Amino acid sequence: MKLVNIWLLLLVVLLCGKKHLGDRLEKRSFEKAPCPGCSHLTLKVEFSSTVVEYADPVVPCNETRWSQKWQSSRPLRRASLSLGSGFWHATGRHSSRRLLRAIPRQVAQTLQADVLWQMGYTGANVRVAVFDTGLSEKHPHFKNVKERTNWTNERTLDDGLGHGTFVAGVIASMRECQGFAPDAELHIFRVFTNNQVSYTSWFLDAFNYAILKKIDVLNLSIGGPDFMDHPFVDKVWELTANNVIMVSAIGNDGPLYGTLNNPADQMDVIGVGGIDFEDNIARFSSRGMTTWELPGGYGRVKPDIVTYGAGVRGSGMKGGCRALSGTSVASPVVAGAVTLLVSTVQKRELVNPASMKQALIASARRLPGVNMFEQGHGKLDLLRAYQILNSYKPQASLSPSYIDLTECPYMWPYCSQPIYYGGMPTIVNVTILNGMGVTGRIVDKPEWQPYLPQNGDNIEVAFSYSSVLWPWSGYLAISISVTKKAASWEGIAQGHVMITVASPAEAESKNGAEQTSTVKLPIKVKIIPAPPRSKRILWDQYHNLRYPPGYFPRDNLRMKNDPLDWNGDHIHTNFRDMYQHLRSMGYFVEVLGSPFTCFDANQYGTLLMVDSEEEYFPEEVAKLRRDVDNGLSLIIFSDWYNTSVMRKVKFYDENTRQWWMPDTGGANIPALNELLSVWNMAFSDGLYEGDFTLASHDMYYASGCSIAKFPEDGVVITQTFKDQGLEVLKQETAVVENVPILGLYQIPAEGGGRIVLYGDSNCLDDSHRQKDCFWLLDALLQYTSYGVTPPSLSHSGHRQRPPSGAGLATPERMEGNHLHRYSKVLEARLGGPEPRALPACPHLSWAKPQPLNETAPSNLWKHQKLLSIDLDKVVLPNFRSNRPQVRPLSPGESGAWDIPGGIMPGRYNQEVGQTIPVFAFLGAMVVLAFFVVQINKAKSRPKRRKPRVKRPQLMQQVHPPKTPSV
Amino acid sequence: MVNLAAMVWRRLLRKRWVLALVFGLSLVYFLTSTFKQEERAVRDRNLLQVQDHDQPILWKVQFNLGNSSRPSNQCRNSIQGKLLITDELGYVCERKDLLVNGCCDVSVPSTKQHCCDGCLSNGCCSAYEHCVSCCLQPSKQLLLERFLSRAAVAFQNLFMAVEDHFELCLAKCRTSSQSVQHENTYRDPVAKYCYGESPPELFPA
Repeated sequence: MKLVNIWLLLLVVLLCGKKHLGDRLEKRSFEKAPCPGCSHLTLKVEFSSTVVEYADPVVPCNETRWSQKWQSSRPLRRASLSLGSGFWHATGRHSSRRLLRAIPRQVAQTLQADVLWQMGYTGANVRVAVFDTGLSEKHPHFKNVKERTNWTNERTLDDGLGHGTFVAGVIASMRECQGFAPDAELHIFRVFTNNQVSYTSWFLDAFNYAILKKIDVLNLSIGGPDFMDHPFVDKVWELTANNVIMVSAIGNDGPLYGTLNNPADQMDVIGVGGIDFEDNIARFSSRGMTTWELPGGYGRVKPDIVTYGAGVRGSGMKGGCRALSGTSVASPVVAGAVTLLVSTVQKRELVNPASMKQALIASARRLPGVNMFEQGHGKLDLLRAYQILNSYKPQASLSPSYIDLTECPYMWPYCSQPIYYGGMPTIVNVTILNGMGVTGRIVDKPEWQPYLPQNGDNIEVAFSYSSVLWPWSGYLAISISVTKKAASWEGIAQGHVMITVASPAEAESKNGAEQTSTVKLPIKVKIIPAPPRSKRILWDQYHNLRYPPGYFPRDNLRMKNDPLDWNGDHIHTNFRDMYQHLRSMGYFVEVLGSPFTCFDANQYGTLLMVDSEEEYFPEEVAKLRRDVDNGLSLIIFSDWYNTSVMRKVKFYDENTRQWWMPDTGGANIPALNELLSVWNMAFSDGLYEGDFTLASHDMYYASGCSIAKFPEDGVVITQTFKDQGLEVLKQETAVVENVPILGLYQIPAEGGGRIVLYGDSNCLDDSHRQKDCFWLLDALLQYTSYGVTPPSLSHSGHRQRPPSGAGLATPERMEGNHLHRYSKVLEARLGGPEPRALPACPHLSWAKPQPLNETAPSNLWKHQKLLSIDLDKVVLPNFRSNRPQVRPLSPGESGAWDIPGGIMPGRYNQEVGQTIPVFAFLGAMVVLAFFVVQINKAKSRPKRRKPRVKRPQLMQQVHPPKTPSV
Repeated sequence: MVNLAAMVWRRLLRKRWVLALVFGLSLVYFLTSTFKQEERAVRDRNLLQVQDHDQPILWKVQFNLGNSSRPSNQCRNSIQGKLLITDELGYVCERKDLLVNGCCDVSVPSTKQHCCDGCLSNGCCSAYEHCVSCCLQPSKQLLLERFLSRAAVAFQNLFMAVEDHFELCLAKCRTSSQSVQHENTYRDPVAKYCYGESPPELFPA
């Protein structure tokens, strides 16, 4: 008994010790939740970006509520892009039906890599680098692992997660689940720890080593939203400039738009999206456009191509096969295919990041019914890419290779709204790929050649482009506008743009002569007469800011796992549904990418400002006031701004190893209040949340503010809400009645406009929206455009007297905020940030047209994408024609479909490893409990009987009775 | 079966020694795994602090004197440049002045050898090509040797694979973990390419 007691004590001591040890680890690395009750949160995270811990009230750890922390470093901004558990089955759009049919397949055979294998190409003599979680030394699937290096602070080269092994397997596995290029030289770079931590500085050093080792193909199944991480972005450019073909995953943040991840969104990188085996774009695959160019410009087309990324089989951590989903999986499929393709080329010097990308996108198969911001150029076609690459001549090409603004759905959103005279110019951002050299330039200027028989003279075109095309690529932005003479014309206009790209001579060519390549870009647009003012809405993009680089917090505070507002806040990214809705209601939406001083208010019925974070120039405030007096209406969807809450949602960013304090709230209310002050209106610093019903519509108010001040003669609607500010700050629940959330006001002067304020923007935003309020926007637009006060609102029982502003605080700008660092309006001055001088409005110089008496083919897509490519010249063995697309399951393989060890797809073996000590501990506890019961029993018995009981037992120990065998 | 299970339970599992055995095994497993973890944790924590001062890395860089040792009249060069390029003889030229053999055209007046334009006294330059060219000065050899003997552990992989002066300069001038603060910003956004020993000066935010 004494012994038992000692053991018990020992156990308790050990437990305490272990707990302390755990605490120490936590403090050091922020890897674990600070309370045992929350630990399940961290387990679920997997490769998701952050964890902002916001424990539900049930979880007994109040002290951690609302405290935000980065789960681990790289994961937020640059996470590995495989999906955690649960996503693996959600591949198609009708996932529940297709679940059973989506059997994981041998991806290399499905893409017909075996045709190239039979021709003797297996990736030999190609150096391929895998930047991931490492690979164990004697993995049975790999025969040519040239080198493994570790760049993390963990002293191991082995993969503890399975991610790196899987990725390497898709590229180069030679047995079971075969990869594309089994003979390729594998260089394994371990840049992620087993806790999925990684830093930019590790990447920088590892990338330098990859350059030194003259890597040919580099796979990065990682990504993050921070395209303003200059050291990283510059380094990726440096790699491509050194002839490393970079292949990267586009991100797992779909189906939301504006969710592209860096580095896959870079022009010089091959960005890969995911599809399932039935050619549906995978739900998780991130959608375009790029948001680098906002607010003045327009995003590029990305991803570049898509390929299988759902339920793909690859190597398991210790051998065997498993299926995983994610763009993390799609990326090595392309990297493997690229490796195999490089090994097929005889003249290796022709292979470079640009020519490879040109071959891939020119050969890709377009998926029907999917737009270019989802599929890029389409689905990878390995054999056609092989044919193109093997008849390739160095040249320049464009992505997209034509501009047909009438083609739906591929050219969405361009095809969703025709252009008209007086509208904001439509901008198309074309990427120039230059296979002739790492650096190049555009000779003279691009030329605009309208087709006279096809009314090409009804449009004007302006260009802006990279002065130097480096590395291997550049941009050509084309702004298209309607000429005055076509102001009331309706029809299709066509023409083309010619550009000539020049690069310094390569070793082969005649001495000194520059290489040049001329590319034709056909253009086709639909023109309509300008719609009436009341139908035209102007979207204010200029005053929307987003991460990166500043910390602009999410508009809905309940969305803890995604604390940043990073999707661009554009009508074609996270306000896409709203845009589609407005189009379907017959409104025309244009985007203002410059200050308010740069638009003609007489053209527009309503200026729509949603979730604005930027400040305003004094000139803008004055101009807007004049515009509203002259009949422009204003709809403002605001959001929260409370300095105490902002301080509360600060977090320690393990990536940058510093504290992050938000620079605004959900919206910049102090700035908005300055803008609104002339009308005697203001928003409050309140923070409210709750469900409600308005005009028989179910609504949800997600972290919005209230109206603090509104003119006497306006209409104000109030609701009853929870005070979320109190909940965030003090974990108390309080209900507030008569919170003014919606205000409608008519400027009393003759011909004056109307102003509408609403305190929450979340119901228009696609990210984390729970209930939309498009019906409300319709009603408000009826009011602003036509002066019709919706009866549902004006006669609502929730109508109250407008608040006078007394008693309710309006927020002040948070002291010490760094908004001026990211603002286009403010600049740092000695006495605090002040507005800059008002910038000049963008001025487009229209290209001089050189009319042609030509007509264009009706289908622009089919025109040649690359010059001097003769596909028939490169012959494939004839067994290609009638072989089945998908190889049937061979009998010996059947077991291999299953994931070894009974682990669910998308989960990692590590989890199981962690549960073993738990089971051991539980077992020990059960035994212990038994002993305690025994001891208690023994105590309750008379002492003298004890020896008699004990002895026979001991005897039996020595001579255990035989048990009948069955 | 139920009988059997009951029998086993009664006869075997209720024996204290069996239970003690199970308990003991669990405890041993528990202890070992705990200690193993602790050991690893300690090692991890130390990893960042300990620097192997005693073990200089075994570098194999050959500093060739003069250019007579080059096998042919072909040049390696810095490949990546947007406007400029540096060849292995230390000449910097514009890309258009690069000859077919990979060397800079020395007859062009703008071509300079061992050019340190835009380089600061701390050994950091604003252009990568100038950094490489400057680093290729024979007088920089001593500095580089000293750097190699003290190179941080993180750079071992890189500098152990470098084979000669030119490769060393190419690798040394690149931006690296030494060039950043807060991971996502350059310490000095202008002079960020360093051939010297010290990282770039911290640029005031």
